[in-house]
Amino acid sequence: MDKLHIPATERSPEVDFDFAAGILRLSGESYPEDASRVFGPIFGALDPFLAGAAGRDIRFDIEMIYFNSSSAKALMNLFQMLDRAAASGVRLVVNWRFAPDDETLREFGEDFSEDLEHLAFNLVAADAAAE
Amino acid sequence: MTESDSSGFNLFDAEERILAEGRTLAEHLGDASLECRAGVEALVKAYGKSIREQRRLVKLSDRQQAQLASLNQELAGRTAQAEEALARLTEAQETLVQAEKLASLGALVGGVAHEINTPVGIALSCASHLADATGRLSALYRADDVGIDDFETYLATAADTAALILANCERAAELIRSFKQVAVDRTSSERRTFDLAATIAETLVSLGPRLRQAGHRMTVACPPGTIMDSYPGALSQVLTNLVMNSIIHAYDDGMSGQLTIVVERPRADTVRIVYHDDGKGIAEEYRGRVFDPFFTTRRGTGGSGLGLHIVYNLVTGPLRGSVAVTGRAGQGAEFVLTLPIAVDGA
Repeated sequence: MDKLHIPATERSPEVDFDFAAGILRLSGESYPEDASRVFGPIFGALDPFLAGAAGRDIRFDIEMIYFNSSSAKALMNLFQMLDRAAASGVRLVVNWRFAPDDETLREFGEDFSEDLEHLAFNLVAADAAAE
Repeated sequence: MTESDSSGFNLFDAEERILAEGRTLAEHLGDASLECRAGVEALVKAYGKSIREQRRLVKLSDRQQAQLASLNQELAGRTAQAEEALARLTEAQETLVQAEKLASLGALVGGVAHEINTPVGIALSCASHLADATGRLSALYRADDVGIDDFETYLATAADTAALILANCERAAELIRSFKQVAVDRTSSERRTFDLAATIAETLVSLGPRLRQAGHRMTVACPPGTIMDSYPGALSQVLTNLVMNSIIHAYDDGMSGQLTIVVERPRADTVRIVYHDDGKGIAEEYRGRVFDPFFTTRRGTGGSGLGLHIVYNLVTGPLRGSVAVTGRAGQGAEFVLTLPIAVDGA
């Protein structure tokens, strides 16, 4: 699989994974009634990709505006998965992007990065419009 | 126990794998002491319970966040509805204010028509009287029967009636002239220089019938030569509304009142117009609301609740001044208008 693109819905984020280029992006809001329906396909696609990505440079941009508790748990699982991949040789950089005035999302990023040992996890305060 | 769905995704996958490993470990502790086995089993049990608790917390929290989200959506919808309703209301209000202004212009036309009726009526009957007298004299003349007395009587009649016709026609012309000025000012809302005393007098002419009908007296004290550069139509509308407000609200049937307008010059660039009636006054609890749109104590009996609102709008708007309700209960109502002699800007 070269690409995975899932458009955003009212309660789920946009997924834009360009596996060939090694640039993955997750953005938007996430408060689905059923987190497995949103995150199942994401994990399903990432697992085999990361298994074959040792030695490659992979950038993962995450720009969430709002997420609920199960989405937060799913994000933690995602970071654990990425951390394991980094431990086994994938050169992974995660950019946790948030609006400059959004203290809550900055703190979430800081919390998420606490237990990660192998990943490069950057907190990026940036205006979406300034992209 | 696992809770993965058909996609194979399980939020607590890692935790449950550790739990399974713990269970396996406990089973393999066959050689360890009873105390050690019981301890590990208790740990595994506690961890399993902790995972179940986490699941419940996440579920609970999700549900609350979903409720919050739908409440927020509903709130946004309602806010939008309320804003739309407010916009429609403001529009309707402006339309009503406009209609009220036109209605008061209609009342003004009625007042002036009534006022002009008197001199025109007198002129008409004088003319008729003169025609009759002329007819009679012509008949005598044709019969060659005109006496000195007949001729002298006719001359006296002709002089009297001509003088009356002239005076009354002049009065009518003057009324029409003043009405024309008021009507043009009212409808064109044009700014010009005008004599304040003249504008007050012209406005009161059209209100004369209403005042006399109710038996009210009006006195005006305005320093002559008070020239303003402002909007005479707006000012005329303000005075009309104040007088109508007094006629409608200040007096019970049969009561006749004394209305006064006193103009002062507190500063060279400012006029103060004190309008006063000696009626029932405005109750303390209504003072703060009399300028609100649609505020009326006479709903259903003709009060639109817009008269004083229009006063407020015109005074604070085009006239760039301020208006205050003063006076004490039981001593009539008093409105004080403070206006710049010349409004700024073009």
